[in-house]
Amino acid sequence: MPRPLRRTVARLHARRVWHAYAFVAPVVILFGLFRVVPSVQTLLYSVYRVELVRGRFTFVGAENFRELVADAAFRHAAWNTLVYVLVIVPVSAALGLLFAVLFDAEFPLRELFKAVYFAPMVTSTVAAAAVWWWLYNPQFGLFNVLLRAVGLPIQPWLMSTRTALWSIILFGIWKGLGYNMVIYLAGLQAIPGTFLEAARIDGAGPLQRFRRISFPLLAPTTTFLLIYNSIQAFQVFDQVYVLTGGGPAGATNVVVLDLYRQAFERYNFGYAAAEATVLFVLILAVTAVQYAYSRRFEVAY
Amino acid sequence: MWATPARAVGTLALFVVVAGGAVLMILPFYWMLMTALSPAPDVLAFPPRWIPSRLTPEHFGVAWAKAAWLTYYGNSLVVAGVSVGCSLVLGLFAGYAFAVYRFPLQHVLFVLILSTLMVPVQVTSVALYILLSRIGWVDTYAGILAPNFASAFGVFLLRQGIRAIPVELVEAARIDGAGEVRIVLTIVAPLVRTSLATVAMILFLGSWNDFLWPVIVINSPDLRTIPVAMALFKDPYGNINYGPLMAAAVISTGPMLVAYALSQKYMIRGIALTGLKG
Repeated sequence: MPRPLRRTVARLHARRVWHAYAFVAPVVILFGLFRVVPSVQTLLYSVYRVELVRGRFTFVGAENFRELVADAAFRHAAWNTLVYVLVIVPVSAALGLLFAVLFDAEFPLRELFKAVYFAPMVTSTVAAAAVWWWLYNPQFGLFNVLLRAVGLPIQPWLMSTRTALWSIILFGIWKGLGYNMVIYLAGLQAIPGTFLEAARIDGAGPLQRFRRISFPLLAPTTTFLLIYNSIQAFQVFDQVYVLTGGGPAGATNVVVLDLYRQAFERYNFGYAAAEATVLFVLILAVTAVQYAYSRRFEVAY
Repeated sequence: MWATPARAVGTLALFVVVAGGAVLMILPFYWMLMTALSPAPDVLAFPPRWIPSRLTPEHFGVAWAKAAWLTYYGNSLVVAGVSVGCSLVLGLFAGYAFAVYRFPLQHVLFVLILSTLMVPVQVTSVALYILLSRIGWVDTYAGILAPNFASAFGVFLLRQGIRAIPVELVEAARIDGAGEVRIVLTIVAPLVRTSLATVAMILFLGSWNDFLWPVIVINSPDLRTIPVAMALFKDPYGNINYGPLMAAAVISTGPMLVAYALSQKYMIRGIALTGLKG
């Protein structure tokens, strides 16, 4: 028996205004109070000097921002954050894509391996970073012990201004690789098999099929991951707090850690609000640019 | 899979690469567990002892005595439980309203809720802390929970789920005289249980592992959640007692890793479907 087109509640459109407001009110009030208002206030506080204990708020104009620009420690933190973002975002996506392509084939224990690659994602960053702090120990840590065992030069890892930021980046790649891979794998498996089949019949090799068909069709996934990775990377905090506390000599200090210290250790709330404003603008700008730029390469299917 | 020799070699090469990667990925977990279970002299041995000379719980004893882990577990459970519970109930009703009703300002309110996803707590923390200090919520459970009573991501996902429900089910219940609250709880909720479970899993994971906001808002040792306790256990300038430190890491991550091992297929799918973090 042919069924009539199934109607869903999306088309119910009841007019029960009071029910509607009663049902959305708790979420709207909680979000207004604890999310929307603080967002706006943070922007506002960035032009004030805030003395919380005395309850005094003094308007200072662009003073906080002028101080930020003049502050070598903040500039260093901003630079480190930028390096972190610029390295980890493309590298995580590229490695994720590489392993997604490998996992797209059939081989024994595939599901088990997938779960292993993804495991760091569900692990607390703080606890995982504590483990890596041990692995990075210059004398007894596993990484240097292994390097010594195979006769390679040992590394100072977190102890040197030259290598500390890279060590934190390496941890971040380990933590996020599984997520990038799984998202790309879902994208690959959504590509209609007929496209690749047609290309194969036309004589396209595996590499050509990937370059001409799979990769362009993955553009929405790539966009999503670049934006997601960037937003996450700009907010990097937990692993820096645990692994180095921003050291040595500020070599791994990042914006959120600096913000945390300014606000909650030195109580410079206005100054911290200015840092938060910079962070917010950066996140917004990168998101907008990546979104606008990559939309041009999107293909509909 | 093993159709031709060339294919078999290809599959073998693939297997070796992927398995090698898996060994690197799992190495930190393995080393955490082995260090935690090794007797103290094994921990600093060279060449490294891949299998401890004997297994001992001594580091767990030290780690357990040094911090009130049961309290921290209780705190993490309370925070995650209340946050997930509230987010599910409020998200279910709000999602139903956005899916089923038409009301003034509907679109504005929906966009307002979703826009909060763009502004992470890293950005709002300064003003949120000032607000909470004024209403006396700093260093309380309510303070830890404040930004997490509701989830924009939960509202969104539940609205999507509810929109797909056949309209006859809701209409029939109305004709039978069921009130709207009862419809949501007894008809709609069971039909979107998959969405509810996905939202619950992702929010629980996010809350369980959350560090920045709890470390900002908590001062009392009694209120520490597991990640905060773990960070303090390591303490930034020292604690080179790696055995107890790794035992603490096992205590911190163990239950979540066991839960993951038991339900990894479902958890990976849920997280991949939706993107982590509300």
